[in-house]
Amino acid sequence: MNRKKHRREKPDAVVQRLMNIVGEREVFYLKEDLISYECDGYTMSKGMPKAVVFVKSTEHVSAVVRCLNEEKIPYIARGAGTGLSGGATPLGGEVIISLVRMKRMLHLDLENRKAVVEPGFINLKLTQSISDKGYYYAPDPSSQYACTIGGNVAENSGGAHCLKYGVTTNHILGLEVVLPNGEVIEIGEEGIPDQPGYDLLGLLTGSEGTLGIVTKITVKVLKNPEGKKTVLAYYDDINDASQAVSEIIAAGIIPAALEMMDSIAIEGVESAAYPVGHPRDIAAFLLIEVDGIAAGIDDQIDEILTVCKHNNVREVKVAKDEAERGLWWANRKMGFGAMGAISPDYLVQDGVIPRTRLPEVLGKIAEISKKYELRIANIFHAGDGNLHPLILFDASIPGQSERAAKAGSECLKVCADVGGSITGEHGVGIEKSAEMRFIFSDAEMTAQTNIRAVFNPEDLLNPGKLFPQPGQCVEIKQAGQGDRSTVPVNAMGRGD
Amino acid sequence: MSAEENRLVTMLNAGKNDTPCQTKTLGNFLWDDLPDATKWADCVHCGMCLEACPTYQETGQEQHSPRGRVYLIKSVAEGKIDVNEAFSKPVFDCLDCRACETACPADVQVGGLIEEARGQIRQAMPLTGFAGVLNKTLLRGIFPNLKRMKTLGGLMRFYQKSGIQRIARKTGLLNIMPTHLKDMESILPEVGKPVLGRYPEVVPAEGETKQRVGILTGCIMDVMFSDVNEATIRVLTHNGFEVGLPKQQGCCGALHVHAGDRETGKKLAKQNIEAFKDYDKILVNAAGCGCALKEYDELFRNDPEMLPLAEEFSAKIEDVSKFLYDNDFDRPKTEVKTKITYHDACHLAHGQGVRFEPRQLLKEIPGVEMVDLPDADRCCGSAGIYNLTHPEMAGALLDRKMDDIPKDVEMISMGNPGCMLQIAMGVQKHGRSEKVVHTVQLLDWAYEKDKEKLGKPVES
Ligand SMILES: Cc1cc2nc3c(=O)[nH]c(=O)nc-3n(C[C@H](O)[C@H](O)[C@H](O)COP(=O)(O)OP(=O)(O)OC[C@H]3O[C@@H](n4cnc5c(N)ncnc54)[C@H](O)[C@@H]3O)c2cc1C
Ligand code: SF4
Ligand code: SF4
Repeated sequence: MNRKKHRREKPDAVVQRLMNIVGEREVFYLKEDLISYECDGYTMSKGMPKAVVFVKSTEHVSAVVRCLNEEKIPYIARGAGTGLSGGATPLGGEVIISLVRMKRMLHLDLENRKAVVEPGFINLKLTQSISDKGYYYAPDPSSQYACTIGGNVAENSGGAHCLKYGVTTNHILGLEVVLPNGEVIEIGEEGIPDQPGYDLLGLLTGSEGTLGIVTKITVKVLKNPEGKKTVLAYYDDINDASQAVSEIIAAGIIPAALEMMDSIAIEGVESAAYPVGHPRDIAAFLLIEVDGIAAGIDDQIDEILTVCKHNNVREVKVAKDEAERGLWWANRKMGFGAMGAISPDYLVQDGVIPRTRLPEVLGKIAEISKKYELRIANIFHAGDGNLHPLILFDASIPGQSERAAKAGSECLKVCADVGGSITGEHGVGIEKSAEMRFIFSDAEMTAQTNIRAVFNPEDLLNPGKLFPQPGQCVEIKQAGQGDRSTVPVNAMGRGD
Repeated sequence: MSAEENRLVTMLNAGKNDTPCQTKTLGNFLWDDLPDATKWADCVHCGMCLEACPTYQETGQEQHSPRGRVYLIKSVAEGKIDVNEAFSKPVFDCLDCRACETACPADVQVGGLIEEARGQIRQAMPLTGFAGVLNKTLLRGIFPNLKRMKTLGGLMRFYQKSGIQRIARKTGLLNIMPTHLKDMESILPEVGKPVLGRYPEVVPAEGETKQRVGILTGCIMDVMFSDVNEATIRVLTHNGFEVGLPKQQGCCGALHVHAGDRETGKKLAKQNIEAFKDYDKILVNAAGCGCALKEYDELFRNDPEMLPLAEEFSAKIEDVSKFLYDNDFDRPKTEVKTKITYHDACHLAHGQGVRFEPRQLLKEIPGVEMVDLPDADRCCGSAGIYNLTHPEMAGALLDRKMDDIPKDVEMISMGNPGCMLQIAMGVQKHGRSEKVVHTVQLLDWAYEKDKEKLGKPVES
């Protein structure tokens, strides 16, 4: 063990070149400075980067990319590193290009309801900086306190409110992108919703940082809804809760959000920073929010209350004020992190299922839980069928990590088998690249890797992500293909 | 042994030549008082704490974020990296502001963990240079020793009163000091005389005695802000509390623990536990001290003998503004016309979860108009002696704080002397004119006004 006084290693030639571009203090290459970049929010896979480079401008990004291209060194764009599938995690030896210092708002045009931000701009900050003027940015991933809009674009992130408002891709008007050859392109034309030619905006959004590095983003901002009401409903039986969900949608109501949590998830959030005081003996709760023109809201709430009661709800209530509503949401949004309060580690899965199959899927997940002797909590964006089983484990107990990974993969298999998908919003990254085979045939996969090869011919940009590696050991399953029509799965990964 | 196995394994490792009295190690943590593995085990690496952290906001570097710091500490325990300069920097650049603890959904005790890691670093790499001198003279030599603190206070009083200050400022004598120390000098408050020793050990309540409380007079507080201590005593006795000022009390030890000197911290803790053993309630008007006293149990985590005493002691600690609010403080009747904003001291808001009571206390003084301070709970950069050891970061945070302070307020109120010094420096640096006050002082003035109106003489 080396405990001698630390000797500063000298930067190598590549690091020196990078320093010449961005400045000496903006490049880190010592092990101690790199180790916290070993992984993102997904901790099951780790790799040491070669260096971390902080860029301040599109020119920086372009110059850094050109340099790395010449040196044939792989590289990865990184935002806040809250990704849950290892998208920003190195396999080993990549240079990480950190975009967090590109965090300015460049332009705000409320009249035309749009804002231009740099990729490191924090999601929640956007809403915070325009809320006093009566506007907000709709995509609200639970990680919005920390994640960057660049990362949101790369992952096509969704949030609790995307049932009504759509995911990131529905809110992007234009992008500036540095291609893997260093060229800078602008895609999306202001004011023209459907440009001729290929829909590059759609292609880039959700490409998980494998086609280019986004350096500027034009987003839509929305006017705050006139009114908003939130309902909390406690159920003793999960079947009743899912029946209520189906009936609400069937009634023609499109809630802004429709969330469900099961009892283990409730145990987590009640032990975490924002306990609400949910009864601990319920099977599930639903959190339902409607918004829009003030006049229609009360009717919708009445209808929702009726549906809930009709489906044997134990207790149902409407938030009495903004403070209560805020607490309910804070409690819900802490969902993942709260698992830390009841388990040393967790693995979050991100399946999509037809919402009517929920009881059946939860039954199968309970069997997986028994089989692997690991507790599994479920957090469900019930409205759009995006299910997050959270597999609780302790990485310090030999064998548990492996069991958790297997259990996670089986959960995804269950989702694919009922006609769903393996990711709703967290992306494929390293984690689910093998499981891509659950839902895509070889030909479908080749069509996609061919596209990557056009943008990223040498595969230097975020290599080893999104698609299975040649020789990667997986059970190749074509199952579920038949019912795919129930839940169309597109390249952006979100069904429903 | 693999890194994963190393994670929670504490192995016997006696007889290492550079760790003489050491029996247990944890990965590359080789020194006494090992960090607590359960603290990083709670962290799920979600990143919800990132944007709460002032040093991450400034640098954007993962290793300067709470998540990164926890990860680094864990990596040392797993034997993946060593205790060296590059590890020490992020650990010591932490402000210990605890904003991350408020943000963290998994209740990770980042602050405690960082203090434990600092303990390891200081044993591994004793300080040299300016920092070493600062550490030795201030932390070991002066703060723990109230007599020397008083002497220092006396010297400063002499410096201010004798005209040397004026001469020093005029002649440019001050120019030989580093800029941040110069800034500091320029705002040194008019130094009063410490209350400890000057007041009787027991100050009786006015009227009927509701309860007997002890107060920690603090070292910096009592030397630099003895007027705040006087106000605290007046306000408490006015509200019917008998105030005890046990003479054996000492510095709370927060600065030492923050600096990684846990041994001195423990010595001071023992002294205070002993000094206040006859009190059921101990009130503190310095948030940093209050937080430290509440965490004595954490300090004695590995000491089965002291732990129960420390736990009992910590449970008695309360912030004075919260105590007054919870105990139905006497509402002043006379108007104090002023426009004021409130800054959340980190160790009050994040460290003790006290946000509502001091604001409410101020709002209930007639005539006081409260103006919201945006991001009121973002650190002002004071953070103990952080502003002395990390002037650049502290300065950047102070500038942001000053930019946020509404332009039209007359006073800035808070509950911590460190913040008072720092923000007073900001007021001066930015050419502003707001008065920096302690929450309790405002209440004291309000009572004074009441008394004036009722024609009663006001005791000083
Ligand atoms: C507690 C928690 C809750 C979450 N909740 C949700 C949720 O509700 N909905 C949801 O969709 N996700 C959620 N996530 C996942 C994650 O927050 C999102 O995927 C987020 O968009 C990632 O943003 P980031 O800035 O952290 O990106 P990173 O993790 O840094 O990167 C993610 C991917 O994007 C790429 N990338 C980053 N920036 C750029 C860029 N400028 N150009 C090109 N590629 C780039 C990276 O290479 C990587 O592949 C959650 C995560 C956590 C930890
Ligand atoms: S205590 Fe403050 S500075 Fe330190 S890690 Fe937490 S938020 Fe950051
Ligand atoms: S310290 Fe808390 S908030 Fe930060 S990464 Fe760990 S669990 Fe998440």
